[in-house]
This record gives sequence, structure tokens and C-alpha cells, in this order.
Amino acid sequence: MARRRGLTAYGFLAPGLLLFAAFRVYPLLDGLRLSFTNARLGRPAQAFVGLANYERLLEDTRFHVSLWNTLFYTVASTLPILAIPLLLAVALNRGTMRTVLRGAFFFPFTLSVVTVGLTWLWLLDPVVGPFNYYFGWLVGRGRSWLSEPGTAMWVIIATTVWWVAGYYLVIYLAGLQDIPRDLYESAALDGAGAIRSFWAITLPLLRPVLLFVFVTHIIGSFQIFGQVFVLTQGGPGDSTRTVVQHLYETAFQNFFAFGAASAMAWVLFAIILVFSLLQFRLLRGHTEL
Amino acid sequence: MSERHAGVSRRTFVTGAAAAAGATWLARGPRRAAAQTKATITYWNGLTGADGKVMDELIDQFTKETGIKIEQQRIPWADLYAKLQVSVPAGEGPDLALIHTVEVPHFASDGVLEVIDDSAMSSRGFRAADYLPATWQGGTFEGKRYSVALDVPQHLLYLNVKVMKEAGLLGADGRPKVPASRDELVQMAKQMAKGDTFGFGIGTVAPGRYTWGFHNLLWQNGANVFTADLKRSALAEPAAVEVADFWASFFAQKISPPSNASCRDAFIAGKLGMWIAGSWNFTGLREAKVDFTAAPVPRLFKQPVVWSMPHQFTFPKPKGADAAKRDAAWTHIRWMTDHVAEWTLKAGQISASRKAHADPRITADPVLKVLMSQGANWQVGQPTPRWVAAENLTRPVIESVYIGQKPGKAAMEDLARQINALPA
Repeated sequence: MARRRGLTAYGFLAPGLLLFAAFRVYPLLDGLRLSFTNARLGRPAQAFVGLANYERLLEDTRFHVSLWNTLFYTVASTLPILAIPLLLAVALNRGTMRTVLRGAFFFPFTLSVVTVGLTWLWLLDPVVGPFNYYFGWLVGRGRSWLSEPGTAMWVIIATTVWWVAGYYLVIYLAGLQDIPRDLYESAALDGAGAIRSFWAITLPLLRPVLLFVFVTHIIGSFQIFGQVFVLTQGGPGDSTRTVVQHLYETAFQNFFAFGAASAMAWVLFAIILVFSLLQFRLLRGHTEL
Repeated sequence: MSERHAGVSRRTFVTGAAAAAGATWLARGPRRAAAQTKATITYWNGLTGADGKVMDELIDQFTKETGIKIEQQRIPWADLYAKLQVSVPAGEGPDLALIHTVEVPHFASDGVLEVIDDSAMSSRGFRAADYLPATWQGGTFEGKRYSVALDVPQHLLYLNVKVMKEAGLLGADGRPKVPASRDELVQMAKQMAKGDTFGFGIGTVAPGRYTWGFHNLLWQNGANVFTADLKRSALAEPAAVEVADFWASFFAQKISPPSNASCRDAFIAGKLGMWIAGSWNFTGLREAKVDFTAAPVPRLFKQPVVWSMPHQFTFPKPKGADAAKRDAAWTHIRWMTDHVAEWTLKAGQISASRKAHADPRITADPVLKVLMSQGANWQVGQPTPRWVAAENLTRPVIESVYIGQKPGKAAMEDLARQINALPA
């Protein structure tokens, strides 16, 4: 009876598993195979080149720059991405107008990355953009935020926070709803204020949600592409160039070098895997999953 | 009410209805059959701006006149090229595509485009004598023809009357002065630059990364991306470094907008005085009612070369031969070439074919007149499959020069090294 039920379950799962195998697992493994070849679109002949594509990455200075930029973006954006939506969620968990405000904060997330990028590109245009107009009015002169290596990546981070804060806000709100009210009431009776309650109750009980946000953000950050491509195209110079942009250009702009691009993709995959495992290991002891 | 009382029996009604339907079918039959013989072709291009709407109108007119339907897909150029590269080998490419001249060599060498026989060209009335050499030659690669030129997007100098007037740079005739040399251009630009108003810009958006403007200056200085034998990069040579140093001076001297600014928006907003940019911008400036004049691209180095990049009709390789579709595609190319004056007038692109150049509607237009006057100075990119990849590598390097991140010489040496490392 149990075996029959098991077969039924697999029967229901089969269509999904087949699609997953065809469109996820197979391309992934085929990408691994390609990374050991000199595959180029338009040139049917492929030859096995061993680790040559990986060795070339060791000498590719633009890949190194891209990797560094990606790492910088990931580290620098983590705290704002974790903290800002959390503070907004705590503020919006109660109070008047919360439905309207939640909607307002979530709205940017409904926009496509191209829309977000083009909007900010226009807002920040150094000559005709309204942001610079008022900034110049306040401090005397405007700045070319996206043309300066020192500020371009920070603008990308700020734009991303503006874009995704609403999404994480909703996740945090769901987590906040699960914290029993009576804990706060008890803490209040014991004389705890809002800040003390936040550190002693909210934060510890939100740990699973925080871990989810943390892990998904790190994975997403390593794959950042859209915002950079629209806002700076990796510039100024290569100062905001990321690994996925480098990979995309190698695969689809510069000679369609699928073999070399696949090697980059696998290096990125390995880095993300290591970071994810580290996160789980570090937080496993503190969080019930 | 019974059927008999109505005066028509069921049998009579059914027979009559069948006869009427048959008669209608017979009457429509020949016309429908004729319509079915007309092929429908797919046509991909990157005309995503105002020119795309003009192409839509012309295609509608073409369909009305010939009965040939065209399913047009307008895709941003960069995406179009990636899509062609992926879809054509899979047998999913279009019947006809419009591409830029510099894309011909690599698509040809990758087997994406079909070779066009000379006889196919001549039998349809396409002759070298009807084209300017740069446009006619642009369709060939290693002695074989792969495309037919439609028009010649090119640079020109836009002069903003308002900005130049405020800087006291109008002549006695009330028209903006035109710089005659590099020093004069810089001098005039400095006269106009103050606060967030700039004297000179090159490129539509992101002037620091505008490779086509950089190429224009290279060609004016007798330099180029590759050596004449196309085997290695020539960008580390002194003539190219001189251009890079000039490029670095734009933003450093505060005469040009920051690297990521939109020169077009700045020009329209009256915050940019002189602007070297593509011919595709002028219809938009007229729509925005900007007070401007146009002049040929000034000679800033040794020769008055004008960057150009003709649009080329090409036949991506199909999965299987379809004579009717190919014939329909040729009919469209012939029709567009014969109606290219309409395209020039509405889209603002000078035709590659000389035939339309004498059209009085074109010769009467002051901007089109300037564009035609540059014909002898047109130059196109070098015919190597590595051109496009080299251009992609150039973009961030010249931006780092523009913003002062890298000195010209070091940047050009680095760029030459990267280009030389590209696969052959």
C-alpha cells in the first residue's frame, strides 16, 4: 500500500522532475562539458582543451577586476539590504496608513530592472537630471555620480536597495506576524522599551527570516547584472564591471566564446556554493531551520 | 408558420444556399489564390527609434503595392546581432535582416550570411556606379558580396543657436560660427562652457564611451584600430595615442559633459553648444523644436574624414531554400532602393544609392544637404571579423581615458594588447 502511494507520488512529481532535468540539470552539466572545450557559436567544430579556459581566467585581468567588483558589491550591499527593509518592516508592522505605505515600498519591486535603471539614469543625469539640479542647488555644484569610480558602485547599491527593499520588507513582515504578541506585552510589563524589545525579542525570533534574506541576497548579489548593464555598462572604465557582465559579453558579444564563458559560469557557481555553505555553517548553530 | 406557407421548401432553400455559397467561393477563389501566391517574409532590424516608425509606414505602402507581407521585428542592435548569431545556425533566422557594415565580416566568416551572386545583383538593377565606393564596398568581404547598402548613417556637427548666441559666437549673418580647426573648436567650446553648460560633446549618450566618435578622430589622424594587413592592432602607434590625449582633454578641460551624460538631452535643453553626433538625431531635434544649424564634421586632425556606417540588407542563411521568399525579399530591397528618397526625407538617413541624391526635396533640406556634401569623406570600419569585438574592448578603455583614470599612452597600449589577444 505504502509502495503504491510512493509510486503515485512519483507519478505526480514526474512532469516537474522531467522539466527540471531538461531545462536545469542538463544545461548545467552541458555547460560544465563546454567549459573544457573551445566551443564557439558559429564554429561547429569543438575540441577538448582540458583546463585551458580555467587557466586563461587566471591571466584575465578584466575577470579579476569583475570578480573584485562583484565581491565588493556583495559585501557593501549586504548590511543596507538586511537592515533597511527590516527597520521599515518594524515601523510598518503597526500604525496607521501601513497598508498604503507597504504598497508604496513594494511598488518599485514590481518594475523591471530596465525600467528602474533607465529611471535612475535620467534622475541622475549630470546635466539635465533633477537629482543633480537640487544637489547642486544645495551644495553649490552637481556631481557626475555614475562617471566617477568612487561613487558609481554606491549608486548601483542605493538603486538596488530602493528597488528590492519592498520585497524583503514583505518577507520580514511575514516573520514579524509570527512573533507572539504576548512576548512584547510581557517585556513591556518588565519595563523594556521598544529598542530593548527589538534586540531581545524581534531580532532573535526573526533569525530564520534573516538567514533566508541573507542567503538569497548573497546568491543574488553574485549574479548582479541588470542594474549595472543599464546604469553604467560596467563603467566608468571597468569600475562596476561584474562577473556576469564579463560572462555575458564573452558569450554573446565577443566572439561567442561559449567555452570560456562556461568556465566563468562554473567558477562563479563554485564561489556561490562556497559562500552559501559557509553561511549555513556559521548560522546553523544559532538558527532552527 | 410552415415552410410551405413561406413559399420556399427546405430542399429549395438548402439547394439555393449551396449554390449561392458556391458562386461566392468561385467569385472569391481566383483572388484568394492570387493572394496565397504572395510570400510573407520575416525581416529583422534594429530600427527601434523614430526611424522604425518610418520603416513601418514604408512597409505598409510596400505591402499595398506588391501584396507581399512583411513581419518586421525591431530589436535593439546589440540584441539583434546576438539573436542572429544564435538563431541562424538553428535555422530560425529571418528571411531578411538589416545590419551595419562592420557586422558583415564576422557574420560572413561565421557562415551566418548567404553569399550574393553578382548576377543576382545585376539582374535586379543594382550597379556599382549607382553607389558611392564606401557603401558599395562595405557589402563585400574577402572578395564576396554579402549585403546591399540601404543608407549611410554618419556624423555631422550640430550647432546650438541659443548657446552660441549667449557666448557671442554668432557670425554677422546671425548664424553660428563653425570651428575650422582643433584649436578653434576648443577655444569656442571654452567660451561657451560655464556651470552645467558645455561647449562641445561627441556622442549621443555616454560620450566617454562613444567608440564611433573615437574612431572618427582616429581616422582623421590617419590612424586606425588595426594595421593595414588587419593582423594586429595599430592603437599603440603615436597617431592613435595623440587622439587618445585629445579625447582625455574634453572632460579634463571641462568643455564636455561627464562620461555618462546624455549629450542629446543636454543639446535639447540648451546646455550644449557644439555636438558631433549621428545623422539619426536631427529629425528628433526638429520635433523638439530646437534652434540649431548643421555643419560638416570639422577637420580636427590631418584629414576631414567623416565616420559612417551604412545599413546593409542581408540574407541570413535559411534552413532550406525557399525561392518565393527570397524573391519577395529581393522585391523589397529593390522597392526600398527605388523609394529611398522617402526614407531619407522621413528618417533622415542619406541613401547609399546616388539616384536619390538629386531629388529636389532632399537637396532643398539644409541638413540633408550638409550630409550629402560629406560623401567624399565617408569612411567605414575595417573589414575584419575582429572589428566588433575590438570595439567592445575599446569602450571601457576610452572611458577610463576620458575621465582621467588612465593616461592615453598606457591605455592605448593596454587596448592594443587586448585586441591582439582576440582569437583570429
